[in-house]
Amino acid sequence: MWHEPECRNLSRLLIGTALYPSPDIMRQAIEASRADVLTVSLRRQNPADGGGEQFWDYIKDLGKRILPNTAGCKSVKEAVTTAQMARELFDTNWIKLEVIGDDYNLQPDPIGLLEATEELIRQDFEVFPYTTDDLVLCTRLAEAGCRTVMPWASPIGSGQGLLNPFNLTMIRARLPEVSLIVDAGIGRPSDAVRALEMGYDGVLINSAVALAQDPVAMARAFAGAVESGRLAYEAGVMPKRDFASPSTPTLGTPFWHGANS
Amino acid sequence: MTRSLGIAGAGLIGRMIALAMQRAGHTVTLFDRDSRAGHDSCSWVGAGMLTPLAELEKAEPIITELGLASLKAWPLWLAGLPEPVYFQSSGSLVVAHQQDHRELEAFRAQVTRKNTTAAQLHRLDRRALAELEPELAPRFNGACFLEPEGQLEPRMLLPALAAALDAAEVVWHEKVAVTAVAPGCIQTAQAGYHFDQVVDCRGLGARAQWPHLRGVRGEVVRLYAPEVQIGRPIRLMHPRYPIYISPRPNQQVVIGATQIESDARGPVTVRSALELLSAAFSLHPGFAEAEILETAAQCRPALPDNLPALQVGAGLLRVNGLYRHGYLIAPAVTAACVAVLSGEPQPYPTLLQSDDAP
Repeated sequence: MWHEPECRNLSRLLIGTALYPSPDIMRQAIEASRADVLTVSLRRQNPADGGGEQFWDYIKDLGKRILPNTAGCKSVKEAVTTAQMARELFDTNWIKLEVIGDDYNLQPDPIGLLEATEELIRQDFEVFPYTTDDLVLCTRLAEAGCRTVMPWASPIGSGQGLLNPFNLTMIRARLPEVSLIVDAGIGRPSDAVRALEMGYDGVLINSAVALAQDPVAMARAFAGAVESGRLAYEAGVMPKRDFASPSTPTLGTPFWHGANS
Repeated sequence: MTRSLGIAGAGLIGRMIALAMQRAGHTVTLFDRDSRAGHDSCSWVGAGMLTPLAELEKAEPIITELGLASLKAWPLWLAGLPEPVYFQSSGSLVVAHQQDHRELEAFRAQVTRKNTTAAQLHRLDRRALAELEPELAPRFNGACFLEPEGQLEPRMLLPALAAALDAAEVVWHEKVAVTAVAPGCIQTAQAGYHFDQVVDCRGLGARAQWPHLRGVRGEVVRLYAPEVQIGRPIRLMHPRYPIYISPRPNQQVVIGATQIESDARGPVTVRSALELLSAAFSLHPGFAEAEILETAAQCRPALPDNLPALQVGAGLLRVNGLYRHGYLIAPAVTAACVAVLSGEPQPYPTLLQSDDAP
C-alpha cells in the first residue's frame, strides 16, 4: 500500500482496536503508537441490528484511516457479506480479509481465502489478505490482484514472534513489488524491528499493545521499534561474517591470520 | 429540611438513592418505564460479583477503592431491608487450565502492579485449593485467592429494595416512560413533575445527555447445577473466553459474561452460549447434567474510560457509566450521590465531572 502516492507517508505500524481495557486507553495507545491505519472488526457486534455504532463512531472520531476486517469469519460467504457491510459502515473499499480455517489456532483457510479474495476484487475491494507464511499462497494472492499481502509471524494473539524467518525472508525476496505486512503473532517490539529489518513494509499489531500491562507505554515502544527497523532496512545491514573483525585494526597482527583460523 | 426529590430510573442505583434519601427524611418520587420487578433493567441480568481486586485486570484503581468500600457497606444496606438477600464475602478464586498458566501469571502480575490498597492476592497450591474448593482441585494445580471478595444475588436484592421503598412510602410511577429530565423537572409523556432536586440515573436511556455513552453487551446463562458444589465465585482465565461462575442459593449458578462492544439487545447468540457453556464445562464436569434455566443479554452503560461519573448542576444530578461494576460499586456511588444531594463533603471527588468530556 505504500506504493500508492497518498499512502507513501503512512506509518508502518498498523494497529487493532480490540481488547483494550477501555476506549479511552485505546485512544491514548493509538495516539502513542503514531499509527495512521486502524483495523476494526465488526463480526460480533450484530451490525445488522444496529449494534456497535457508538464504538465505531468513537473510532471514526479518531480521524485515522480505517481498515475494517472480517475477523471471526469462517466461510467465504460470511467473509464477503461482512466485507460488504464494512464498506457501507466505514465508507472504504479497503478490507482486511480473514477466513479462518482452524478454530484452535485461528489459522487462515488458504482455499477459502483465495476464493474470497477473487470475489471481493471482482467487487472492487482493495483486499488485504491475512495469510499463512506460504510462498505459493502469497504469490497466488498477489496474482489475484492484491497489492498488499499480510503473512502471519505466528498464530493470532499468540505473541510467539517470527516463528519462521526463513519463509518470511523468501516471501519478501520473491514478491518485491507487493507491499508486505506481518500480521499476527508479533509479541514484543523486537519482533517488529526484525520484520522491518527484513524488508517488510509494515507490521499489524493488536494484542501486543492491548494486553500489555501498560498499553500506552507499549504503544510508544512499538512506534520506536517500527521506526528503528525501517531505518535499519534502508540503511542496509552489514553482512554477517564468520570471524571477528575489529573496527580498529590491531597493529602488528598479520591480516591473513583471520583466514587461517 | 424536608425537600422533594424526583428520580428518573429505578434500576439498582435509582432504588438505592431513593431509599437513602427517603430514609434521610426527604420526599422521593421514582419514575421508570419498567415495572417494580425491574426485569428489563441491566441490574436484573447482572451476576452480582463483588470482586474489587480481580477487576484490576482491566479497570482503574478507583474501581477497587469504590469496590472495597462497597463490600464493607453491603451488610449494613442488607440489614436494613425487609427481606433476606443472599450475600457472602468469603473470597473468590481465579484459575487457569494447565496450558493457559501464563494467563494466570499475567493476571497476577497486572493486579499486583495496579493494586494500591492493602488488600492481598494469595497464590494457592493444589492442596490449599483443595481445602477451599475441593471440587476444583482435581482439574487445577493451583489458583489465586482474592480474600476481600464476594457476591450477592441481584434477584433477591432488587425485590427487597422495592419492598423497602414501598414500606418507606416512596411514590413510584412504574411503567411510565420519562421523556426529558431538566433541573427540578421530570417530564413524562403525560405530564411534567416538579421537585427541589432531580436525579437522572436512566443508564443508556439518558444517552442524549451523555454523547459518548455506549452500550457494552453482556450475556449470561443461569443453570441449576446440583452436581457442582462450589461456594465461591470463580474466574477462569482463558486467552479467548474469560468467564466467571457465580454460585447461588438453591444450587443455581450464573455463568457470565461476554463483553461485546454493541447495543444490540437480541437474545444470547449460539456462539456466546457455546463459549460460556464450554468454558464452564471445562471447569467442572458436573456442569454436563446441569439444567439451563435461563439465558439473558443486556447492555451496560459505559463511558469512554469505563468509569462511573456524576454530573452535578443546580437542581439536577446525573449519574451514569456504572458499566459492569454496578453491584461492585453501588453503595459507594450511592454515597457519592447522597453527598451531592445533601450538600455534604464528597467522599469520591474524582467521580465528579463538569461535562461529558471524551
